[in-house]
Amino acid sequence: MKFTELLRRIFLVDLIRGLRLTFSYQRPSATCTEQYPLERPRVAERYRGAPRLNNHPETGETLCIACNLCSLACPENLIVVSWERTEDRKKKLTTFTYDLSRCMFCGLCEDACPVDALELTQDFEMAHYAREGMIWDRQALEEGPRPTRYTR
Amino acid sequence: MEFLKAHLLLLATVKIVMVFAVLAGIVAYLVYMERKVLAFMQARLGPMRVGPWGLLQPIADGIKLLLKEDIVPAGVDKFVFLLAPAISVAAAFTVFAAIPFAGNFFITDINVALLFILGVSSLGIYGIILGGWSSNSHYPLLGALRSSAQLVSYEVAAGMALVGVLLVSNSLSMVEIVQSQYKMGVWNIFLQPVAFIIYLIAAVAETNRNPFDLPEAESELTAGFHTEYSGFRFALYFLAEYTNMVVVSCIAVTLFLGGWLRPFPNLKALDLLKYAPVVAFLGAAAFILWLGLQSLVAMERYFFVALAAVCILLAGVVAIPVVLNAVQGIFWFTVKVLIFLYAFIWYRATFPRYRYDQLMNVGWRWMIPLALANMIVTAIVCYLVSVRPHSALTAWLGW
Repeated sequence: MKFTELLRRIFLVDLIRGLRLTFSYQRPSATCTEQYPLERPRVAERYRGAPRLNNHPETGETLCIACNLCSLACPENLIVVSWERTEDRKKKLTTFTYDLSRCMFCGLCEDACPVDALELTQDFEMAHYAREGMIWDRQALEEGPRPTRYTR
Repeated sequence: MEFLKAHLLLLATVKIVMVFAVLAGIVAYLVYMERKVLAFMQARLGPMRVGPWGLLQPIADGIKLLLKEDIVPAGVDKFVFLLAPAISVAAAFTVFAAIPFAGNFFITDINVALLFILGVSSLGIYGIILGGWSSNSHYPLLGALRSSAQLVSYEVAAGMALVGVLLVSNSLSMVEIVQSQYKMGVWNIFLQPVAFIIYLIAAVAETNRNPFDLPEAESELTAGFHTEYSGFRFALYFLAEYTNMVVVSCIAVTLFLGGWLRPFPNLKALDLLKYAPVVAFLGAAAFILWLGLQSLVAMERYFFVALAAVCILLAGVVAIPVVLNAVQGIFWFTVKVLIFLYAFIWYRATFPRYRYDQLMNVGWRWMIPLALANMIVTAIVCYLVSVRPHSALTAWLGW
């Protein structure tokens, strides 16, 4: 054993270095915990969560043109779009159901939408007490999930 | 005369009740401190949900443990099984009878206090051995055996390390040991650094804490000697373990770090340190306010502001000269003990557990010879000093 090695052992250098490391982890910035219901967690930028049916920001009318492309694109066939014809033969959206319980959040519906009406948002609080709650109608899709917010 | 005797007894009883109550609270919050410090060192937050910053967690834990069913498994030696945790706790708490918390506050000053403390605290091991034996189960028995082997090996080293202090201080009384440190003008840690380090390591081993927690090594022995215990009796073991931590910290502080004395008690230049309690309370208030500002719940913020206000109030009370002089001893003693307790948790967060043969190696091949050598050298130096009090040696040592 070399002399320096011996000195290191006698004065417990390695142990002290370990102690210094654990001590430094006490700084508040090192804490990783997110206090979830109190703090909103940071979701990844490209996270795909709860679907939303967008309205026009000024008129408040739906952007959906009832083209049914999302429904066709969906691998699970969980989107049902129904419409009626107006007098000038235009399609007008009546109901739009989205069965979240079968959704795998692949985002193909979002890609298929020609007018950016259907969008997968970054909301993730979609739990429900019953299966029926997972089937979102047009109103639920337009409002999005409403989790309890805590005051900061 | 009769009245005076009764009066003294009454005074002693009041002191005992005070010490017991305060200690129980301290031990409860020591568990909280351990969970918090450990959590921060592991980049977590620890208990946060029970009360503001989890401050009510120890109370909730205590209530839970008291209300749980006290299971006595079939096949145990019932009398011993029920008795064992009580032995552990009683031994741990009895030690405080001889510990001087301040120059003006101690329960008794026995002239063989250190002997008494070592004797009584060694009795605590009976609680562990009897508990492990009477459980009639494999893991507790193995845990108890390990614990007794470990305690015996490290008690020797610790005892011999303490002998060095006795030789320097020339007394077994805890109060006189502190006073001798005052007279000499230095803490014993500077005269007996080797003994201090040996005692520090042995103290961790004796309290069965990391990295010497083999008796209750989770991954090997489930919970060690208290595997079969539940509810209140488990709580008693828990209490005993943490009380023992406080005990060894108190002994280390009294013997090596000058007990209730402030740092460099003889230097007039440092008389400003007298105001440390006021500064400490103000610092605590600032820290609490800072915590409160970070809090996410409005109610908690109000609570923290109120707590900070209480701290500032206490700082004001402590600033009164009479009170300031009265709390000096207890303040410095508490601070030193807290540093030790923090170190215990710090070790736990840092060091991995020893293997059993490594533990015995360290104990018998390093600690005991080192303690012996320290004792002999100290004895020789003390003898030389006492034979020729005015020699070059004493001048060199500065006595």
